[in-house]
Order: sequence, then C-alpha cells, then structure tokens
Amino acid sequence: MDDSSLAERQGVVRVPADRADLVEAAQEGGGTVDDGEGPADDDAPADDEVTVARVGPTGITGLDPLVSATSGGETAFYANVDPALVTEITADIAEGSVGVVGDPLAVAGHALGPATFPLAPATPLGVGNRRILGGAGWHRPTEPSDHDAAGGFVDATLEDVVSGADGLQGRGWGDWCQDSDVEPALDRARDAFGEAAVVVNAHGTATSVGHSGADTDRPTADALLLESVPFAVLEGADHLATAVDAERVVVYVSEADETAVERVRTAAEHYPDPVTPFEVVTGPAVHRATEPTMALEAIEGNHRLEARLRRPGELPTLNGVPALVHTARTVAHLARRVRAEDVGGHAATRLVTVSGDVEAPATVELSETASLDAALDAVSLAGEFRAAAVGGRFGGLTDSLDVSCSPGSLAAGGLGTEGVVEILGADRCLVEFVGRRAQLAADTNCGRCVPCREGSTQLTELLRDVYDGDFERGAIAELLRVMDGSSVCAFGVEAARPVRTAIEEFGEEFESHADGRCPAGACFEPPEVPQ
Amino acid sequence: MSSDHEAGDVPPLTEDIAPGTATDPPVGSDDATTVTVDGTAVELPAGSTLLDAVEAVEKGADARGDSADGGTAETVPALCQYGREDIGPRSTCRTCMVETDSEGLVPACSHPAEDGSVVRTDAEAAVEARDVNLDLVLSNHNLRCTTCGKNGRCDLQDAAIENDVEEPRYGVLDDRDAYEPIDDSSSFIQIDRNKCILCNRCVEACNDVQVEGVLRVEGSGADTRIGFQNGAATMEDSTCVSCGHCATVCPTGSLVEKGIEDATTIQIPGFTQKNSVGKSYERDGSPKGPMTPKKAAERTDRTASGEAERARETAKEAASDERRDWP
Repeated sequence: MDDSSLAERQGVVRVPADRADLVEAAQEGGGTVDDGEGPADDDAPADDEVTVARVGPTGITGLDPLVSATSGGETAFYANVDPALVTEITADIAEGSVGVVGDPLAVAGHALGPATFPLAPATPLGVGNRRILGGAGWHRPTEPSDHDAAGGFVDATLEDVVSGADGLQGRGWGDWCQDSDVEPALDRARDAFGEAAVVVNAHGTATSVGHSGADTDRPTADALLLESVPFAVLEGADHLATAVDAERVVVYVSEADETAVERVRTAAEHYPDPVTPFEVVTGPAVHRATEPTMALEAIEGNHRLEARLRRPGELPTLNGVPALVHTARTVAHLARRVRAEDVGGHAATRLVTVSGDVEAPATVELSETASLDAALDAVSLAGEFRAAAVGGRFGGLTDSLDVSCSPGSLAAGGLGTEGVVEILGADRCLVEFVGRRAQLAADTNCGRCVPCREGSTQLTELLRDVYDGDFERGAIAELLRVMDGSSVCAFGVEAARPVRTAIEEFGEEFESHADGRCPAGACFEPPEVPQ
Repeated sequence: MSSDHEAGDVPPLTEDIAPGTATDPPVGSDDATTVTVDGTAVELPAGSTLLDAVEAVEKGADARGDSADGGTAETVPALCQYGREDIGPRSTCRTCMVETDSEGLVPACSHPAEDGSVVRTDAEAAVEARDVNLDLVLSNHNLRCTTCGKNGRCDLQDAAIENDVEEPRYGVLDDRDAYEPIDDSSSFIQIDRNKCILCNRCVEACNDVQVEGVLRVEGSGADTRIGFQNGAATMEDSTCVSCGHCATVCPTGSLVEKGIEDATTIQIPGFTQKNSVGKSYERDGSPKGPMTPKKAAERTDRTASGEAERARETAKEAASDERRDWP
C-alpha cells in the first residue's frame, strides 16, 4: 500500500477535492490526477510526473481554496487561488521549483515526503498543533495508503485500546462521556463483550446560527474530520470495536453534511479489514439530534426525536444492546493515543472552531494548556472584539479568551466545552444575543421535559420583560437553576448557560436595557427629534 | 405482549405503532433495597424507584395517623406519574425532584432506589425545583377550573392546592388567541389541549396497554402536542376505537368522556366546558364506517405521517434562525 501513498511522490499538488475547476487547471499545468487506486492503477502518475491529489479541507476556511505544492523537501502554500494560478503552480512543480510563481502564503521546508501536514509557521495553518488534523488538507480522504503512510491502521490489541483510553475524556455534547473519562463506559461495554454497539456521533450541526440574515452555519470539527481524515475517525471506532467485539459500528452524521456523509461512506468501504463493518446513518439536521440519546433514537429510526431518560451508571442502548457513544473527535483522539503518540511528552489537544463575527471561520487544534486566545490567530475578526460565546450554540459569554481550553478551566469560568468560540463584535448587543438564544432553545427543544420546554419559554418572556423596564434578576436566576438542575438532557442544562453567564459578566447591560438604553445602540429606536 | 412470543413474533399492528416517544431504560432497582427518606428507613422490593420510597414513607405515616412525625418533610407531587398498568414513569414534569446524598438532585419517579440511598425531600434545591416546575406546568395550562369537567378530581389542581400555590410565578395560559380549539368531533371523547400537561399517560394507555396505535406525541418545543398517528386533525378522523382509556388516565380535564364534560362545572347558565375556549372542532356529520376496519386500512398512513412529521421538524428548525423580531 505504501508505494501508492502521496508520501512516495516527488512532486505533488494538493487541490481541494470539491473544486473540479482547480483540478482541471492543475492538469493543464502538466499534473496527473491520482485518486489512489493502488499500484495496479494504470492511470497512476509515473515517478517523474506531478501528482494532483484531491484533498479535504484544512479547517481554515479563510484560505480556501488552498493549494499546496510539494517538491523534494519544500512545500509552498497558496491561499485563495484561481485556476490560472493553479496551472502555473503545477508547471512550476513539474520543473522542480517550489514557490517561485505567484505569491505563496508560506514556503515550508521539511523532510522528503512528509506523511502529514508540514508546519507553516506565522500563518493560520501554523496555529496550534496538527496531530488529529495532521492529514487534513494533506491526505486524500478516502485513500487508505495516505493514512497508512502516516502510521495509521495500527493493529491494536485489547490491552492497547484500554491503555489508550486511560485518561481520555469525551469531547463535545454529542459524547456520552462529555468531559469525563471514557474508560468506565468502555469497561461497561466490555461486560457486554460481543453484544455491544459502537456509535461515532459526528452529528454536530452548526457552529453558530445566522445573524442579521447571514448564514454562518459551517460543519463542526466532527464533520471536518469526516470530510478530511475519515480514516483517523474510523480507526478509533475500529479500536473500540476490537475492545468490545462490537456487533455494530455506526457512524452517525447530519443529513445536511453531505460531503462528510459521502466521504465517510467511501472510506468505510476502503477501510482495510475492519473488525466490524461500518454503517453510516444520517439523522435530521436539527441541533437536538446531536444529543447522545436522541442520536440513538435517530439511528433506530424514530420519526420524532426526544431525549431518553438515563439510568445511572449504565450505558444507553441501541436496539437493545449497550452502546458506546463517542464523538468523532473522541475516537480520533483514541486512535492517536493507541499509537502512543499522544501520551507522555504531549499535552492532550482540543479542536477549537472560531466562528461568529469573523471574516471566515476556522478550526484549529490547540494544546489543552494553550489559551483560547491562540485560536484567534487563525481568523480575521470582522470588527472589534466585544465578547465571545464559548461552548457552541449555548456557550457561555466572556469578555476575555485568556483561558486555557482544558475542560476544567472552561467549566471554572462557566464556559462550555463544545469546542466552538463564537466571536461577538462591538456592535453586538449581548442582551439581544442571549435573548435570541433563549428563544432558539424555546423553539427547538424536543418538548419532553417541563424545565426545558416551559422553562426556556418563560426565560424568553423574562428577558423580553427587561425591555419593559422589569429586570427580575432573582427570578431569572431561580429559573436558570431549575433548568440546569432538573432537565432530562444536556439541551436544557446548556440552554441556561448563555443567560446565566451574560448576567454574571455583563449584568450592567441588563440594567441599562431596563432603563431604556442599549449600550451597543442596537435595541431601541432613537427618539424622534421634533422638527 | 405475551412472553410466549418470540422476538419478532409480534402482532403486526405493534410494528407499525409510532407513538413519537423515546425508548427509556428500565427505572427500577435491580434488587430489594433499603432507602432512607427524611430520616425514615424503608425496605423496598426489586424494581423500586425513589418515588416508591417517598410514597412508602408517606403511606407508613398515614397508616399510623402520624404524618407530622415520620412522614416526608415536604410533599412530592410527581404530577405526571401514574404508577399503574405499566404506564410511565415519563419523568417529564420534574415535580418529583429530591436530593440524594450521593447524586444530588434527581427525579424520584425515574431514579432507581439504590441500596443505602439517603433522600431528602426538603433540601432547598429540591423544593425550589419542584415548586418552579409545578408553576411551569401551570404556565401552559388553561386554568378555567370553574368550567372544567375535572374540577375537584384533577391531579394538577390537587398538586397546586397541596403546594399552596396561590399565584403561579409565570401566570397561567390565559391568552384566548393562543388557545387551541376544543376537539368535540368524537361522539365519545372530548379533547381540550389547552389543559394538556403532556404527561404522556394517554399515549401509553393507547399504545402500550390497548395496543390501538391512535395517539402520539408530535411536534417540539412549544408546539409539542398530543396528535394522531394517522395524521388526522381531529379525533373523528383518527383511528380511535373509543375505548376511553385515554380519558381514564388523563390527570387533568384535557381528555374527558362526552356526556360528563360538565359534570363538575359551576352551574352558571351559558358557561360550559365546551364554550370556555370559544372555538371547537365539530363532527362533520358524514356517516362513518366501523372503526376497526378503517384503522387497518389506514395503518400504512402512519409511516407516511411520521415521515411528514420529521420533515416538518427539520424545516421548523431551519426557519428558526435569529431573523425573528427581538425583543
């Protein structure tokens, strides 16, 4: 398999897989497309030809379309390219030179044939680490040889998997073990050895919700992994299947993430000798469908999704068998740890997506000890920084991102651990922002439990009352405590967070609104000036 | 379902039943346990919940005529709990929250009675959660008790009285424009969804006990409601066989048997349960065939109706962006 991987090629031009026009332009420049059908592929480029590889996104959308051109020990990165430039770049590589044409974003030196993304310091591509994301924008997503060349497809024993899971925490609200150790869940699934199911929950629907009519929905980190490095995810799932001798392994994706669905389906077909064949199942593109028990309901085919009760100390079930439900991020981290590459010398990493009032969203990989501030280097702010909602759709508000992205420090600051930082610019009214989020919770909850269904409705009313001069801080705090403490699932628990943190951090803004003033100048009509 | 049946060997009807609810895990304890509630220890058989423990303590005190010393410290309404015929617990109203030493705030109705658990009904957080959740239930309830056929035999009314609710924090559903019309189209059962607390007892009675597959939960958020699996808008057009079990289990005046819908309303001329809302769905007068064959003929419609419901939900969320007016 190795000799079909891109790492073996002399000249490689990597082009976004979804841009047929750029692929064509690269061919015009003398490149030959190689989709990696293996050494027997008659169409594979000869050794002295430039290989054109269709790769997945890097996560830095502001650079798209990004083309990288590698020859020998150097790679030139070109951001926001057009077809004419891609033709020139390819011709440049064919002649053995790198970064001569155009205006490359960066030229990075590296060993011959790097199997993972080379470091490009001082650019958005160089922010944080690229361990989980090492193949994103570098590997052909559905070609096993590239993942193999990067050290993937490890034959893991049960002991390897248990050892890799030691100390690993679940990532994201779609994970049954969010912010807690996955090991106890794995132990319970092993009690059902041979009859357990593994569910990779990659459903996360969107990083943010439209503002002022703008559609800022983007795939989350989980969907990015499936689009770019599906084998990194499937490998972790395969390890779990090994550990519990799973009878089913299901990858669950939002039906809106069409590219992710297509890529992971193809990758699942190409996966070499999986312990249990992978199934890919889609769920409706609604936020609540990410919650683990609703994910299981969707996989089981229920037409209506509502949260299930949870039995303390036990796993949920999929069609009656105990199921391990972990996000794509969690299982990708597991795969890295099983290779023993992420234990010992390295701190654990977190995928962080920056969205909101930025020119273009970006997903980067930060060490858990790094400050969230570091992620801002990967984006251009659309204006002055006012605040940020940290933790996804129901993130907590803060005016400072000087907080490390470990779950412990985020929780200590009342912030969420979903891995999404939504930037709020200077013209944003935070009272309006959390009011709309409360309304969103009222509109989109599953409808099952009273504290979430009726609580979010009454919360919205209490926030509307602020505009009528009635800021009942105690009543709002009481309602938030009850939503947080008695909702059936994380939807209701998290829906309380934006308002709670906004009042704690920006309470004076609520007072101002009760007095008829909006500090951001967004909420009230200016008084009419008499003529 | 008979235990003699092999898995898969089920009546064809049950395969098509789509109540729109989640598959919950069992909630009872694995073994016989001893639980302490507000200082009183009780022994419970396997399969018990913390609510069983709470009720055992209350009953014990009642039996001794000694509720002041030995009963629970606070009333636990557990409004949506039915506790018979394997209906529930749905654990939706969360008016049964109690505090345990080991796990903090938990819903008593759906939490296993683990051996050695120490439960407090009067913990501050538990009292607050029960009170707020009871008021939240009331906030979406048409509280026109004087024209309600269940006045005086209503679980919600009882809970509100026992908890000394005088003025619910969030008011009551009192916006006539927001009222759903009363469904008076069936000859046997009347539905007033404005009084529904979504306890799901009727849906379970209809599907799990009677195995009729008529009622379902549908929608989400504030639009969550009891509907019909064949997608019908009214009871008359549903596949209801008029067994009446839904009305029997309904804790409020949402489902009542026709003929006694005004049994307990205050006798003021012109004021009735039916006209309390001011709008209703009526029987269309067309002749109806026998219910059961009709149901069989419409069985396949349930799948289509479920798919339509799912498509509606996706579209609803797609439209639920932040473009709406605020505040």
